[in-house]
Amino acid sequence: MSDRKTERLINLTLALLATKRYLKKSEILTNVQGYEGSQDAKERMFERDKDDLRSLGIEIEVGDLDVFFEDEPGYRIPQKSYELNVPDLTGRELALLSVASNFWNDSILAPNAQSGIRKLQSLGIPASLDFEFRMKYRFENPSELLELISKAILQKSRISFAYDSASLKTRHLEPYRIVFWNSYWYLIGMDIDRKAIRLFKLSRFQGSVEISKKKNEFNIPTDFDVSQHLPKEDVEIIRTAVVEIRKDSGALFRRRGKQIAEGVEFDTYEIDYENERAFLREILWHGENIRLVEPQALKEQLLILIDGILT
Amino acid sequence: MTESALDRTARALDLVPYLLEHQGISVAELAQVFGVSEKQINSDLILIHMCGLPGYTPLELIEMYYEDGYVTVSDPQSLNKPRKMNRTEITSLLVSLDLLKSTRSDRIAEEVETLKTKLRKSLSFENPYVVVANSKNSDLVEQIELAITKANALEIVYLSGSKDQSTERLILPLELYQQNNFTYLKAWCQTSEGERTFRLDRFVSLKISDANRISYTRNEKLIAPQLANIELIVSKQARNFIEENRGIIANLVEGEAIQVTLHPIDLDWLARTILGYGSSIRVVGPKQLAEDITTRAKAIRQLYPISK
Repeated sequence: MSDRKTERLINLTLALLATKRYLKKSEILTNVQGYEGSQDAKERMFERDKDDLRSLGIEIEVGDLDVFFEDEPGYRIPQKSYELNVPDLTGRELALLSVASNFWNDSILAPNAQSGIRKLQSLGIPASLDFEFRMKYRFENPSELLELISKAILQKSRISFAYDSASLKTRHLEPYRIVFWNSYWYLIGMDIDRKAIRLFKLSRFQGSVEISKKKNEFNIPTDFDVSQHLPKEDVEIIRTAVVEIRKDSGALFRRRGKQIAEGVEFDTYEIDYENERAFLREILWHGENIRLVEPQALKEQLLILIDGILT
Repeated sequence: MTESALDRTARALDLVPYLLEHQGISVAELAQVFGVSEKQINSDLILIHMCGLPGYTPLELIEMYYEDGYVTVSDPQSLNKPRKMNRTEITSLLVSLDLLKSTRSDRIAEEVETLKTKLRKSLSFENPYVVVANSKNSDLVEQIELAITKANALEIVYLSGSKDQSTERLILPLELYQQNNFTYLKAWCQTSEGERTFRLDRFVSLKISDANRISYTRNEKLIAPQLANIELIVSKQARNFIEENRGIIANLVEGEAIQVTLHPIDLDWLARTILGYGSSIRVVGPKQLAEDITTRAKAIRQLYPISK
């Protein structure tokens, strides 16, 4: 069954592509292989097939034939609209694209990147050289939410979704852009309730996304710039801690810090840090080989962590 | 799962022009390129073979030859050019290029920009994706890539991430990757006779080795099989832990807190890491891990005798 339909769709595409003039529906139903049954059944089949091909992105042009067939529309697929055409694509660029498309590993975008590459490789451009790039990108696999959200962005429809932050809440958003940053996927947009641009991590979405049925509900401000809205980890205030590092250990800390005193069992170092929690995790990672001396407030937090384990 | 007639049609329409530019390609390679089984390719080819233009005499059919698993197309009829790329194909490629650019030097970055302009021109629409480059690229990357290609061994001095020591090692680099903003190198380590992962920012030095002492045969089993069935309960405050360690998570059940099962992994590293999360990560098993963490916590507590 599927075989016959596939065959018919291919035959229809070939016929509509090959013709310079418009083909009448009656011509198609008689001449293109695969249209069977009553006239009604054939016509219904043809209508469905047209929709199917269009859903593949194939443009079927409808036109009047000529004075003699005024009442019967004609069909064809203009070659120009069907064929891929990337002017001046070089072999080196094709090779670059192939390398880039491998970034996706087994993520949800991989099949799309791969089929895009296949089409480009069918253009008859000899891929000139292989790059010696060996770097891969491993990241959180983008979920199927990506497709849903990008659709909402393109048609400018509002979305709502359950988001796991301090408490689970439903957010209403005008989605602006999907951002890949620091190995994670984020959605950035105008939070309708908070009337401010906010950033959401896709991995914290709970369940699916609901897309409003309306389109063109908002515009993305022309001066919108993603980089303005990312958490500013880079400019966080840098503070200095004093730690004691046991002899013959803490190589990473010693490398990063500045030694201010040498002891018998421990050496004392000054170390800069940005993110408190991350810094505490680093200290504790070293176990009994590192003792935090200052700042006092950080030391209290450290003890809360340790006492949390011991009780 | 049976494939829809539409998906199959799409593939068939792409197969013919691809074959035209890759005459004499093997079915096995086609299967790989199109991401389906050889059986599927075979049945696609048989189907395509029966398609053609009205009239459907041998002259009007798509003509191809199939011999000993190799395929040649001699008459594609009207299918001589690939179809246009659709929106998802082109966005996936554009995002790929952005990723590539974020890991590369300026010269490549410029080429990528030119290429993106070309692609956009051929299909213009809004791109909903933005890639923000961030990683500080290590200048070691290009050296290591070259070494991987040439299968050169490297002598490195490395600050170990799991043992708190600086060590000299002889390694054969295998794979470079970026994850969570760090660049990692997977390599065969001759010194410890196993596959190890190194973080590039912990390299103290690196040089190409002329040593011929590498005895490497790829064997997935060698990757540190220490102990299975590590189970943790991670509260939502410690969600970072999960996000940063996705690679080692075997199973995850969301609830009030998150139940996590880990792949076998170095327990020393894990104990050290869990310490930093305090009471937000609890060890269900193995018991040995839980005890180890408590012992370490006690030792740390003793460093702070005055404060309670």
